[in-house]
Amino acid sequence: MAGVLALSAALSSCGVVGTADAVANAAPDAPINGPQGRVPQFIASCAVSHFAFDDPIVHPGHAGASHQHVFFGNEAVTASVGYDELLGAPTTCDQRLDTASYWTPVLLDPRGQRIDPTGAVAYYRPGAGVDHTTLVPYPPDLKMVAGDAEADGEQPLSVVAWSCGVSAVRSVVPTECPGRSTLRLLVTFPDCWDGERTWTASPDDRHVVYSSAGECPDSHPVPIPQLQLAVDHPPVDPDGLSLSSGAITTGHGDFWNAWDQDKLVNEVQNCLHRGITCNVSAN
Amino acid sequence: MTVSTRPRRIVGLAATLALVAAACGGDDDSPVATDPPPATEAAPDPTDPPDEDDDEPVDPDDGDAGDAGDDGDDGDDGGDGGDTGRSGIIEVPADHETIQAAVDAAEPGDLILIAPGVYHEAVDVTTDELTIRGVDRNEVVLDGEFELDNGIRVLGANGVAVENMTAVNYSRNGFYWTGVQGFRGSYLTSYRTGDYGIYAFDSTDGQFEHSYAAGSADAGYYIGQCFPCNAVIFDVISEHNGLGYSGTNAGGNLLIVNSTFRNNRAGIVPNTGSYQLCYPERETTIVGNTVHSNNQPDTPAISVALLAMGNGILPAGGVRNTIERNLVFDHDRTGIGLVPFLEENPNDVIPPPEDWDRPCDEQRLDPVADDVPESLLWDPSENRVVGNVVSESGEADLAVASAGTDLSTLGNCFSDNTFTTTAPTELETLAPCDGEGSGDWTDGDLEVIRWLGEVETRPAAVDYREAALPERPVLDNMPDAASAPARPAVDVPMTIDLDAIEVPERP
Repeated sequence: MAGVLALSAALSSCGVVGTADAVANAAPDAPINGPQGRVPQFIASCAVSHFAFDDPIVHPGHAGASHQHVFFGNEAVTASVGYDELLGAPTTCDQRLDTASYWTPVLLDPRGQRIDPTGAVAYYRPGAGVDHTTLVPYPPDLKMVAGDAEADGEQPLSVVAWSCGVSAVRSVVPTECPGRSTLRLLVTFPDCWDGERTWTASPDDRHVVYSSAGECPDSHPVPIPQLQLAVDHPPVDPDGLSLSSGAITTGHGDFWNAWDQDKLVNEVQNCLHRGITCNVSAN
Repeated sequence: MTVSTRPRRIVGLAATLALVAAACGGDDDSPVATDPPPATEAAPDPTDPPDEDDDEPVDPDDGDAGDAGDDGDDGDDGGDGGDTGRSGIIEVPADHETIQAAVDAAEPGDLILIAPGVYHEAVDVTTDELTIRGVDRNEVVLDGEFELDNGIRVLGANGVAVENMTAVNYSRNGFYWTGVQGFRGSYLTSYRTGDYGIYAFDSTDGQFEHSYAAGSADAGYYIGQCFPCNAVIFDVISEHNGLGYSGTNAGGNLLIVNSTFRNNRAGIVPNTGSYQLCYPERETTIVGNTVHSNNQPDTPAISVALLAMGNGILPAGGVRNTIERNLVFDHDRTGIGLVPFLEENPNDVIPPPEDWDRPCDEQRLDPVADDVPESLLWDPSENRVVGNVVSESGEADLAVASAGTDLSTLGNCFSDNTFTTTAPTELETLAPCDGEGSGDWTDGDLEVIRWLGEVETRPAAVDYREAALPERPVLDNMPDAASAPARPAVDVPMTIDLDAIEVPERP
């Protein structure tokens, strides 16, 4: 419990963790892994859009106020951009109507040099055990953060994990990968919404939490798709790596729903509700 | 084309709020999922009306439908003169301006008949047993303009047939079925797409025939994650794709016959991997195809296509496949190569051979192994290569290879082929399909593992939007497109007389 509370406190900078009644849902029950197709999904594969010392969720309107982030998806994102400006903007995602924005801290080598990601994959699925027919699309302009930018220790593997390529094996820090394997950072986002707010800055009053045992808590009764963001890096020696947010254990991710909302609704209905694997990521 | 997004946003928000209300309302008897998707009539898709001849609906009795292409091998083309009462027929744009609106309005058994024009749509189909047909294959063109994802996507709707039309410039797939039982794609043209051309995933009981696919980064044709698939690919052309055919974890009464795979990076590449369900790939039957010159350096390509480049028929980590009476020539590496797939970072372990007969529906429920190794070596096993005519291969006309496994233990066999070179040497003596083999399996080993190191020397993938492709050809229409009755995909797959298929003549 102490670890969970510490996590709650530490996550405060990202505005994710808060009230006592939701502590039990500060992380998924278990890491999400295994072959694709066991549960319905739709995905978007996105190239790097840009790098910036911005965080339009945590530090809106303050350019340069953040540690460095790598942005995927919507190309119009700045520290001060508004939701309406994102709609219809260009995207780096193969799903061109996915104009959402995704960002994470940047991986740094032992000399502090940036290791540029090769791309990212956004997996949208039901949370573990959640009835896929009950999922509600994210409301327009929903903002979420997952993981702890100020963690002073290991984070739950079910929220922030590393893997070699698409391996089912997860670890809390990067490990030596075989051969030419890429290194993947996985961030799993909350999948229960309070049904009202698109963002809460207060750590004591968060708008999204994680499901547990396939259920959303009464405080956050609306099941939403569970986004798992996977950021791929080229093969790299794991020794001495860090993140732009601090230690290698400070992994986190941000999501801003600026999807073409009709397309998002369509994908939730036609893929997730119907139990369909709408697409898979090959490797 | 300029499309306003405002009405769509409003509808999207409304739909979201409606779903939220349903989820938060506490009415356990009205789950969202059992409601049909909201009607989309109020939210037309980003579609222009046909911009060619858009001042008049097409006379279904006019044009060249019926003039071309009855090649005599499709004896089930109806031809009872059509339904002059138009009952069960929905015409685009006469009845509905968009294909999506017509599809949404249709009921099982209906025929959606599309007039010539360019349609900027990504059509989703969720109604069973529709027949969606272009009046003219070459002039009914769905154009994704590199922005839309799929030309036509069939989502869990069984028995949907798509016929006689063209899809171009989609960021993902031209024509796509997923999660269905019963599918048919006939007289289709897919051209310049980001993933696949004509594609069935997690689907059974279907066929692709009389079709053409070019310029896909992954594969022109794909049937994957099914066992038994009960599916046929017949009389298709696949060229200038990353792979001519790919089928991950597919097989079981899956026939690829009488088709042409040419000028792709690699030709026919059934393959295995644990990143999706129902491994390994098994029991694909590849007979009577013309497979040549699959060394094309300037196509779009996924990474696997770079690895597989320069091979004609290349089951990668596949088992119990039958490869017979194909004409295969002009490949930089192998004509027919049975090769391993070294899967790094897998999601499970290799199932034992006694599991290879288990249907996908059952196998997919298996729990994943707790202890997953760093890599898996999927060896090609128990494949039969018989009666093929193979020539002009840079490394070997016929080959079998592993990455350390004793090849003599894998149970592959080779007989009655016409060839010049093999790896190992004397392959038909080492591994005949009848009787005992003899010889030295280590002599002339292909050493296929070196291909992994050569990937970076292969010509780089070309952006699918810019790849140099042959001009989109004008191809045969289906017979009597404007008048043939609806024919949902409930009579699939077609029956193939495999014994009657001969090695094709060289083109």
